[in-house]
Amino acid sequence: MTQETILIGLAGVLAAAAPVIFAVLGETLSERAGVINLSMNGTILLSAMGGFAAAYTTDNIVLGFLAGMLIGALVALVVAFASITLKQSQVAVGFVLALTCRDLSYFLGNPYMGLPGPRLQAIPIPVLGDIPVIGQLFFRQDPITYISFVAIFLAWVWIFRTRPGLMLQGIGEKPAAAFIRGANVNLMRYVYTVIGGALIGLAGPAYSLAIRAGWMGTISGLDGIGWIALSITIFGGWNPSRAAFGAYLFAFLQWLGLVLQPVLTQVPSQVLQVAPFPLMILTLLLVNIGDAEWVERALAAMPENTRKIMVKLLRAMRASPPAALGVPFERD
Amino acid sequence: MQSKLSSLFDAFLPVIATLAALAVGAVMLLFLKVNPLEAYAALWDGAFGSANSFAETLVKATPLLLVALGICISFRGDVINIGGEGQMIIGAVLATWVGLTLTGLPGWLAITLAMLAGFLGGAVWGGIPGILKAYFRVNEILSTVMMNAIAVQLMNFLLRGPMIDPSQAELASKIPQTARLLDIFHLPRLAPTRLHLGALIAVVLAILVYILLWRTTAGYRIRAVGQNPNASRYAGIKVPRYVVLALLLSGAFAGLAGAVQVYGVNYRMITDGSSSGFTGSAGFNGIVAALFGQLHPIWSIPASILFGALLVGANKMQRVVQVPSALITVLNGLVVIFVVSSEIWRRRRQRRRLAAAPVEESPPEEDQPNVQTKEANQ
Repeated sequence: MTQETILIGLAGVLAAAAPVIFAVLGETLSERAGVINLSMNGTILLSAMGGFAAAYTTDNIVLGFLAGMLIGALVALVVAFASITLKQSQVAVGFVLALTCRDLSYFLGNPYMGLPGPRLQAIPIPVLGDIPVIGQLFFRQDPITYISFVAIFLAWVWIFRTRPGLMLQGIGEKPAAAFIRGANVNLMRYVYTVIGGALIGLAGPAYSLAIRAGWMGTISGLDGIGWIALSITIFGGWNPSRAAFGAYLFAFLQWLGLVLQPVLTQVPSQVLQVAPFPLMILTLLLVNIGDAEWVERALAAMPENTRKIMVKLLRAMRASPPAALGVPFERD
Repeated sequence: MQSKLSSLFDAFLPVIATLAALAVGAVMLLFLKVNPLEAYAALWDGAFGSANSFAETLVKATPLLLVALGICISFRGDVINIGGEGQMIIGAVLATWVGLTLTGLPGWLAITLAMLAGFLGGAVWGGIPGILKAYFRVNEILSTVMMNAIAVQLMNFLLRGPMIDPSQAELASKIPQTARLLDIFHLPRLAPTRLHLGALIAVVLAILVYILLWRTTAGYRIRAVGQNPNASRYAGIKVPRYVVLALLLSGAFAGLAGAVQVYGVNYRMITDGSSSGFTGSAGFNGIVAALFGQLHPIWSIPASILFGALLVGANKMQRVVQVPSALITVLNGLVVIFVVSSEIWRRRRQRRRLAAAPVEESPPEEDQPNVQTKEANQ
């Protein structure tokens, strides 16, 4: 394999990760505020379909992306209403929505199956795109990929470097304390869930109008992406930069599977197709293992030096969710 | 008198919610320029119109009920098992393998062994995420979803390779399916319809699950762990053990559903590459049925029949008024969302009733099972 094809492949990995990044950032915001939006898998499909349909009918690609965001925001609003106002189980509502939105997308998307639609073109950035390796990797992408780069940075700055972001952390960790500090906890949860939903809704058109242009119904291969994005959110420890790393890692592994397929001919194709899933389970295991009781006991029994190293290692991998995740807030 | 009326209203809330969902569906049908009355008449006719169609409804309801029973156990234990699809597949694969290997056995024995194999296969596929959750703190929603994907690819591999029908292997078409089970291995029919013994098994198991959850120590502990893991631990319950048990049993029932589907309906396993090709999404719809049945094994019976009827009726509706049957899966979702949302009225009125009640009455208590999941606990 030449350096050229590897570079093209890696640039493709960055582009392929863009939708997952939007989804993961959206879910991170929502969960930071304390609301699990489990509908993600269905939302991505529905917004992919809706975004494509809108762009196809209006012949305006920007409208397609906006439609996707609107759909994501509306689904998130249902989740927020059911969990914040009705205090229902977020998991139950989210899961049902995940199924319903998926079926709804197949059902409503029927007329748009396989139509040739608009597609986002790559726009190389003038000077930066000419830098040898880096330019090819980062600056000859399509606009939505550029936006994904910026979004990671913005989300990180917002959560960790601004006052409202600090409040957001408070709402998810200790809503009662945030309330005393003057935050309208439930309103803020609504806002962040809906904004997060809009971001998740951006993931759909990022597929159907860019990477995998068009709407192919059940065979579009988008079913399941949302669940992967959900585990990347956890892997990312509710931190945008680490989540982005997870998304890129996943896209890279998928690309690796494709590249290796012709080389490893004796391995059944199913093994490579399925490999990301056990790998995701393994990463989730590594991220959480430090919290397990028996691990703590085992650590205590270790000699001092090994224990220090192990503790450091486990702490580096560890990711704890916002303490009030999934818990309705009631002031009393 | 008034309180009696109002508790009657509570009992009918799911029905009212279902009607509301159907009303929304009617609007969608109008958008498709279809007369909703005509469409729903076809739906009803398809599901209950004749003995045959009613039997068909029950046949569809059987795997839903079996999956729902497992969901009742796991959700009561605050373990969210989304892996019904994968567990069904593994159960079915193992049961099929038993039936195709032990061809020398008498029918009743082979069927019993196959059902056990299905139960076991599902238990293993549910037990893995259970152990991952209990001892490695891996979120079970995610691990079960991943296990689904793995099971589907495993099925595709086995049905295209080692387990392929020998006669298909010689043909060029190579349809990914196993050989057909011997006739004596089929689950007996209950009537001159397609209704098979599996439906009866499911109903008996529903009663057993009720007994398990409310009349045995293990069931009590599963529910205790679901309500409050910390309090359970202080009470001396080994929490991780019951988390594993809940997921394991949940998977086992789904695995049994897969085995019943093979031995009662298809008599072989066949794949179209996706999971729903074999399961018909029963692994997911069973969750919906269990939620609709308020996570109660007995109430899950009518809930499963309702969703079975919707699925069977959908085919007829599709034929008569030419609407995509996907509309029905949308309706399924709407029904649950409406049922879940209708809770708010029930609670609000309950609060009002309590406020109006004389003081010496018993203190207010939360009568809802706590299925609120906290990822923070994992």
